[in-house]
Amino acid sequence: MSIGGSDLDKAIAQLRACRPIPENQVRELCYKARELLIEEGNVVGVDAPVTICGDIHGQFHDLMELFRVGGDVPDTNYLFMGDFVDRGFYSLESFLLLLCLKVRYPDRITLIRGNHESRQITTVYGFYDECVRKYGSANVWRYCCDVFDFLALGALVTGAATSLSPTEGPLAENAEAMPDIDADIEIETLNSAGEVMFRYARNSDSQTSESSQTLGSSPARPDPTPTRVGAAGTGASGSSNGTSRNEGGAVLCVHGGLSPLIDTIDKIRLLDRKQEVPHEGAMCDLLWSDPDDIDGWGLSPRGAGFLFGGDIVKRFNHNNDISLIARAHQLVMEGFKEMFDNTIVTVWSAPNYCYRCGNVAAILELGEDGSNAGFQRRSNGDRGGGGGGWVLGSNDGTSTRNSTDNLRLPEGPGRRYRVFEAAPQDSRGMPAKKPVADYFL
Amino acid sequence: MSNTNIPDLRTLLASRRGGSTRRGARGPPGPPGSSQSGRGAAADDAVRNTDQDAAGSRVSCVELGYLNDPYAKLFATQPSTRRLPLLNRGSYVRTSAIDLLIDRFMSTAPGEPKQIVSLGAGTDTRFFRLQDKYPPAELVYHEIDFPLNTAAKLAAIQRHPQLFTKLPDKAASLTTGATSYSSSSYNVHALDLRSMADSTVEAAPPLPNLNPAIPTLILSEMCLIYLQASTVSSILSKFLTTYIPAPTPVSLILYEPILPNDAFGKVMTSNLASRNIQLPTLSVYPELGDQRARLKQYGFVDGARAADTEWLWRKWVSEEEKERVAGLEMLDELEELELLLRHYCIAWGWRDGGQGVFSKAWGELHDSAEQS
Ligand SMILES: C[S@@+](CC[C@H](N)C(=O)[O-])C[C@H]1O[C@@H](n2cnc3c(N)ncnc32)[C@H](O)[C@@H]1O
Repeated sequence: MSIGGSDLDKAIAQLRACRPIPENQVRELCYKARELLIEEGNVVGVDAPVTICGDIHGQFHDLMELFRVGGDVPDTNYLFMGDFVDRGFYSLESFLLLLCLKVRYPDRITLIRGNHESRQITTVYGFYDECVRKYGSANVWRYCCDVFDFLALGALVTGAATSLSPTEGPLAENAEAMPDIDADIEIETLNSAGEVMFRYARNSDSQTSESSQTLGSSPARPDPTPTRVGAAGTGASGSSNGTSRNEGGAVLCVHGGLSPLIDTIDKIRLLDRKQEVPHEGAMCDLLWSDPDDIDGWGLSPRGAGFLFGGDIVKRFNHNNDISLIARAHQLVMEGFKEMFDNTIVTVWSAPNYCYRCGNVAAILELGEDGSNAGFQRRSNGDRGGGGGGWVLGSNDGTSTRNSTDNLRLPEGPGRRYRVFEAAPQDSRGMPAKKPVADYFL
Repeated sequence: MSNTNIPDLRTLLASRRGGSTRRGARGPPGPPGSSQSGRGAAADDAVRNTDQDAAGSRVSCVELGYLNDPYAKLFATQPSTRRLPLLNRGSYVRTSAIDLLIDRFMSTAPGEPKQIVSLGAGTDTRFFRLQDKYPPAELVYHEIDFPLNTAAKLAAIQRHPQLFTKLPDKAASLTTGATSYSSSSYNVHALDLRSMADSTVEAAPPLPNLNPAIPTLILSEMCLIYLQASTVSSILSKFLTTYIPAPTPVSLILYEPILPNDAFGKVMTSNLASRNIQLPTLSVYPELGDQRARLKQYGFVDGARAADTEWLWRKWVSEEEKERVAGLEMLDELEELELLLRHYCIAWGWRDGGQGVFSKAWGELHDSAEQS
């Protein structure tokens, strides 16, 4: 049988109810998905507005919560940065649902590859076992792995507004003093009820005082823990229309981070990606590396990929006209964490990771620039004149540490983080037989 | 423990349940083998069964090459399931850090007799591993656990020549279904530890062969955490004043969780509660500083140290060994590992007049407060 049209909608409905679809439908779906993905470049172009999501890890009920908070597909345009599978109890349902949505609404959802989208890793971290348990054979796992090989390695978001129009929502109970609503809003943090927890303006006093701190884990930031009241948050579309200024660089999205073998985005485009994730090399690094407070490159304790410092990020962003790198890969207790003068952000979308870590999750909304029309994708020279480019690091007293502090970087996009907690326990239908040894006993 | 084992063990126990078990049990006597009824008994069962979790984690570590322990498998009743890399890493740190403390104790003043008392020993293999490492004459080992657990352990020893040949009488005195065992080197006491804390009972429950005059190391590896803080105080006071009175050197090693009040700790507490496992002392001694203070309070006045297992991994494991262990499995979940390891600690304290065997063995071994 073929899966398409109404069959596809049926499959989506079934998966939304967290019920797996039959094996032959999976085969068909994976075949269709591959045909679609093979057409994508290694770096997919995505237009803002878009909602960027980090690791999911088979936490199906939390993925539903994510859609509740961020808006549904196709109303909201989504970009998932990989690690759909492993660790959680419902990798299969989560990945197949995302894949169905991809086939059904190819222009409204982008999936890129994480380091767990790999044969080797899924045999250790649960997805393989889950497939065998649910289907009695490894066929479905094999179909899925074949899809993994075709997933893009990164995405480049263009046309994002440099500032947000402030959300007209109630303020959260513990919200801090907000900048003037007329100000150029660079960052907003909302809880899952759509209440504003935090907001700050570009180049404002609050900006100055905050810029040297790490957002997302800054003690100055109000507690991001959301309260669970009120209606669903609105989607990225519509709610974050930007101003008409258009000076921002593009946003590079990748699961892990940078590679010493990759100094331009074009070099990513030249890789041969249609294979199992290799143990080393550029493709491996993109999926495995982590930013760290070091200078230059360092060895990764993960045994794959590298650590890279702020100087690396700033130089890469400068050379590629990137204003921000969005990546996932690392658990962040607060859901997101900006580093290196807001040049890179980690977005983590699996709340209470592994049903054990107690963290909140976040998604990142980038609004659409009002004057999107003339935007030059992949421009390398012009950095948007007019004195707009904010000199990053200039407020930082210790800025003479390395030469990259003087680089003029494109103005970052306005960023709206929606923070959310795990879906309520009763809705997640924990398997009766709990996994063994969650803790040391 | 498999279900099929339980009924006949209970029948066996019914006839054997003597004065040493469940002394001062709360409430009316229950059915044979469980002197408590209702919630208490169910909670006790949950706590008793934690031992097979520990055994399974040990086996997983051994099979993957983290730990060298030929005995671990012989005590595990469940088929081995491979644990996640981060759990293997955590079990590795737990076992090797305790081993390091015990090795320093064993190799200080060699030739002089020493004693170890393992509280809630469960399926711990340490006695057998120490037999392979040190001359047998030097060590008297005691294990205490619930009768169901000691019976299962002794049955496993009887089944396996690798185990019973390590005993001085080759287990000749072991009868089928025994819950206790004594010999010059190895002693198993079937006992609810809480019975030691009972103030209405004049004498402490007897611990045959316990020598009150030789340096004694008390080990609680995930055991006292399951008891009330006041009960733990009473038990330790029994040890420090009645069983091993001053001036005999005595020490305590604790391995247990900490930091119940942060996000991870809260989820841990509630997840375990949903498995009917309570950790009463966790909220009483939430941080490393509280652990050091409690050791002093108990009377371990000559040294009171504590470090979390994340620190212990970094500081106590040699670079070479770190590299070996890191090479065993691809470990992707680094942030989670750090979180997990920071929520478990080892605390160790001693009383030996400041110049005894423990001061010599551990005096130079710093903790995370003294050296970060
Ligand atoms: C998690 S296991 C740890 C076993 C062993 N110490 C190890 O680390 O592998 C906890 C053990 O403590 C024992 N235990 C808990 N409460 C006890 C009590 N009140 N009396 C005797 N044993 C107890 C349990 O039966 C169980 O065997």
